[in-house]
Amino acid sequence: MISGFAAFDLHVSIGAQTLFTIFGFDVTNALLTGLVGVIITVAVLVYVALSVKRGKYNRFIGLVQWVFEGLLHQINDIIPDKKLAKKMTPLAITIFFVVMFNYWLSLLPGLDSIKVNGVPILRSAAADLNFTLALAIITVVTVQMYAIKYLGVFGNAKRYIRNPFKNPVGAFEGALEIIGEFSRGVALALRLFGNAFAGEILLIVILLLTSYVASVVLPVFMLFELFIGFIQAYVFFVLTLIFTSLAVTHEDEHDKQTA
Amino acid sequence: MQNVTQVAASQGNIFASLGIDWKALILQIIAFLLLVFVLGKWVYPWLMKSVDERQAGIEAAAKATAEAQKSAEANKEAVAQLLAQARKEANEIIGTAKLESAEMVSTSEKKAQKIAERIAKDAHEQLDKDVVNARKVLYNDTLELVGLATEKIIAQKLDKKTDGELIDAVVKAAK
Repeated sequence: MISGFAAFDLHVSIGAQTLFTIFGFDVTNALLTGLVGVIITVAVLVYVALSVKRGKYNRFIGLVQWVFEGLLHQINDIIPDKKLAKKMTPLAITIFFVVMFNYWLSLLPGLDSIKVNGVPILRSAAADLNFTLALAIITVVTVQMYAIKYLGVFGNAKRYIRNPFKNPVGAFEGALEIIGEFSRGVALALRLFGNAFAGEILLIVILLLTSYVASVVLPVFMLFELFIGFIQAYVFFVLTLIFTSLAVTHEDEHDKQTA
Repeated sequence: MQNVTQVAASQGNIFASLGIDWKALILQIIAFLLLVFVLGKWVYPWLMKSVDERQAGIEAAAKATAEAQKSAEANKEAVAQLLAQARKEANEIIGTAKLESAEMVSTSEKKAQKIAERIAKDAHEQLDKDVVNARKVLYNDTLELVGLATEKIIAQKLDKKTDGELIDAVVKAAK
């Protein structure tokens, strides 16, 4: 069995692999696929926006509009402040669509089989820690920015730093908050990366295990991956909103607790 | 497949072993923020506008439905009132019609009775006249028969003169 695997040359790399270099910058397979994912996202959203502007409708436009409307409702439900909800809308919705389309790109035929200089061309950006970590950093920084805006610099700092002599429990809680902020960011990045990476490996392994039956078996797993892609995008989207909502409502809750 | 820790140990960098390239990371952050800015500035407003319009349309439709429902309920009440009024009026009309018909029947009966009585009276009068006429006819016929019988008995033609003589003779004989 293992020798069979070896014959198929199963190659798994945690990091994205460099395809070529431009001005000293390594262009990886994930970066290239991610660029395609972004182009698809922009094309879909621009097409839908232009069609809506012109009053043209079809099932696809209706579907995207339906998803968009659902996401907007979700934003308004999670973030009570309408002004903040409106400000968070572009980031949260872009995260959802970019993550979903990039995740779905891992289902394209040619995954781990089309290679240039022995490096697979296709690798979902969601299966690259650079991409997921970038999204997590953006989310955590945005949450901090809005927390400072709503609570003030000192108000936000009070969430983490408290006088251990006056309030030892609070000080410990603040330390936990700092750890929590880092762990949230890391969890955001690793959750998406882990799912996408495992999804890609799953498809390759199923392909190798089922051999000629793969054309019958793989679609089932591809459908499953499509579903997982949607779920992961939705989870990232919802967590971004929840972290923002928690950060800006922290002061009120703390006041209520002390009262 | 190498273990991450093995790779990290060989390269001496956990980030490199996970494939994290700081240049790529920063580039992706900038690219994504740029994408958010572009979409947020030129694409989402149209979609949000359409959602708002759709929402406004749904709200307007819901409002119109509520108003229509309200007006339907009001109409229902008005219709119920009209129906009750109509039923009341119909009952009154039926009552009046019954009374009027009863009066008409009574009047007709009286009229018919009068006509019948008049017809019966006329019939009686006509009958009496017919009886009188029949009697007259019978009397005359009897007289003629008597005359004829007398002619047969006396074997001569009777005329006024003979008749008179006979009558006189009979009267004398009677005396």
